[in-house]
Formats: sequence, structure tokens, C-alpha cells
Amino acid sequence: MRYNRQIILPEVGEKGQEKLTQAKVLIIGAGGLGAAILPYLAAAGIGEIGIIDDDAIEISNLQRQVIYKSDAIGKSKALEAKEMALSLNPSIQVNAITDTLNAKNAIPLFEYYDIIVDATDNLHTKYLINDACVVTHKPFVYGSIYKFQGQVSVFNYQNGPTYRCLFPDESSNSKNCVDAGVMGISVGIIGMFQANEVLKMVLGIGNILSGELLIYNMLTNDQQKFDLVKNNSISLSRDDFEKKYNAIENTVLEISAKEALEQIDNSDILFLDVRNEEELPKVNLPNSIQIPLSDLEENLNQLDSNKTILVYCQSGMRSTKAAEILKKHQFLKVQSISGGVLKLQEIIANNSVSIL
Amino acid sequence: MLKLKYFGAVAEKIKVQEENIPFSNSSLQELVDALEQKYDLSSLSYSIAVNQKIVQDTNNYMLISNDVVALLPPFAGG
Repeated sequence: MRYNRQIILPEVGEKGQEKLTQAKVLIIGAGGLGAAILPYLAAAGIGEIGIIDDDAIEISNLQRQVIYKSDAIGKSKALEAKEMALSLNPSIQVNAITDTLNAKNAIPLFEYYDIIVDATDNLHTKYLINDACVVTHKPFVYGSIYKFQGQVSVFNYQNGPTYRCLFPDESSNSKNCVDAGVMGISVGIIGMFQANEVLKMVLGIGNILSGELLIYNMLTNDQQKFDLVKNNSISLSRDDFEKKYNAIENTVLEISAKEALEQIDNSDILFLDVRNEEELPKVNLPNSIQIPLSDLEENLNQLDSNKTILVYCQSGMRSTKAAEILKKHQFLKVQSISGGVLKLQEIIANNSVSIL
Repeated sequence: MLKLKYFGAVAEKIKVQEENIPFSNSSLQELVDALEQKYDLSSLSYSIAVNQKIVQDTNNYMLISNDVVALLPPFAGG
């Protein structure tokens, strides 16, 4: 009864509906794109949908993330999204994951689902999604927006080209909606293109945008497709993935001076000054201790490893080394304050944070 | 003549979405280097397509008259 209107389409039928019921789709991101994609997949009867996002709803989301209610501001996007999807279609299963996608959870997550949908807002995660899709052999439904333009493609579909075949340069920057701005309809339109690819893949109908990049311009209604071939010189095994992402995760030991100072009142924080005694200027931080870098390894017993240790030095170089030493000695919660005392002083002087 | 099409942040930097330029016997990479210089595109990253096909080896791709070259930066919003 519920699906009658699509079942009567020759391309769908009861068989197609059964395929939809059996499908498991993961949507990464419950923001603009995710909010457009989820309801349509739920409505069509995709049997199991995962939605992963660790954000809370903010008022500025509501101009484009149309599944959220004004009185739900502050609540978890993933959980609200799940509630919306289940109230629309109680017969499906929705898994809300209030977490960020990272190198540790990506592969186990992807292994469970059939199709991975990118509804993210940054390039770094798109590369991670790509790599985890390659390792787990799952198709990656890509979508992205820049102001009034959008891109859509399906990567890694039946051994087709991947995101890296299209954009090999991982060091590039591109503004997301927070910085560049966006209208709700833009994420809506591109989200629809993505949901369309998912449904076509599950039903086995139409042409999939594999080996093709579709670019749509909302202002001119111009739509273009560009053909893309697989770059066979790139490959990624599971081992390569582990090595690459462990390397990346291990280097994320930094915290900005501003964020560090915002934690001043937190009694779980310990500030560690690794400069020599005579170095100036002194910074009067509560919860702090001074151990010169050269003496650090012999004096680790002075540090409480249950606390989060924020290390600083003059400019941020020695503190990085200190953070590495601490990590090696199983201090798991350690960060180096980037920019060091020079940056801390700047922020204190600007009165952005008071330290009394 | 060559037709050039720009998208996203590239179109913003150059301030047009498309333009025509006189044809010259150059490789695709040479054309891109010239555009990069002219419009100061060095901070931007993009892929390049000719006649709706993305080209990976831009050094060895020779342009012919009436080719349509597109500069495609990655988008990130969502």
C-alpha cells in the first residue's frame, strides 16, 4: 500500500521494492545534503539507513536543513534525523551514529552497508570516505556544493574511477557553506541527485554517474557532465590505509592557543611549560607546572596522566617534541599549544581570555 | 579559437565563467601555466577537462582549434 505509486512503475515493481527493502545505505553527515537525502531514501523504503553526525542543531542550520524543527535547536542532528525518518516510515530501520567518521570507525562501518553516501562538508573527509570505500569495495555517492554550483558523481562503482582519480591533490582547500554561503535549494537539488543515484543503483535501472562528474549551476540551470577515467596507477590496500591514517592521526597533537586558554578553568587540564627556568615572559596559568624539555623524560612522575596535558614552549616547536615524548610514555591526553607563549600572550593581551 | 570554462572558486578568482582566447599550438599544460600566471591561480587546485573529458596527462596533451577547456576545482560544501 505504502509503496504503490512506485511499484506500478515498470522499472520498479514488487521485485524492485524488495531490492529497496534489502538495501543498507550509510549517509555520512546530517547537514544540508544529508537532510535532503535521508527523507527520500526513507520514503522509498530503503530497508536500513545509517546516519552519522556528531553535531547539534544550530539556528543557522534551519535555512537549509529542512528536516529539523525550530524547537529542536541544541539537539543531536543524527538522533533528530532518525526520529524524522522513522515517523515518516516506521517500517525501516534507521541507525543514528552520534560520532564523527574517522580512520578507526570508517572501515568497520562501511563493511556493514552496501552504499556509502557522502553528505559531508570538507575535503579531508571525502578522501577518507574514498579510501575506506576502495578498501571495502563499496560505491561512494559523492555530492558537494560551492555557493550556487554543485557536483555529483558515483565513485568506486563496479571498479570505476575513484574520487582520487578526479581530484588527486589532497592538499587543496575549498570553502564549505559556513565560509562561502549557500541557499537551501542548492543542497536540496544536489541531495536529490545523490538520492537518485542511490535508488538507481539499488533498483538496477537507468544510468549511474560512474566515470562522470555532473556539475549543476542553480543560477543558470546549466548542467554539464565530464567524463573521467580510472587512474590505474593508484591503488590502496587495507595495509596502506592503516599506515596512512595512523600516520595522519599521530600527527594531530596540536591545539590552538585560543582553545587552550578557553580551558583554563577546567580542573582536568594541566599546563606544562617545557621552557628553561630563566626564559621570559612567564605566563601565570593556574594548574601549571614547569619542566624543561631536557629534563622531561626523567620527571614524568611529576605529571598526572589522568589529566589532559597542554604543553607549551616559546613558539610551539619544543612543545611538539615534548608531546611526542609524553605520547610515547603512554600519556594519552596530550596536546601541544601551537604558537606557544608568543601566541598565548597575544590572546591574553587582546583580552579574548582573562586568566585571573 | 579556444573556449575556456571556469567553475567554483576558479570562476570567482577569474571573475568570469567562460571566455574565448586565440588558439596557439600549445600543450594543455602550457595553456594552464599561462592561465595560472595571468590570473594568479597558484593557490587554487583544480582538474582539467578538454571537450568534456578529464585529462590526467596534461603535459602530453596537444590542443587543437575549437577545443573547450574546463577548469574544475573540487567543491566542499554540504
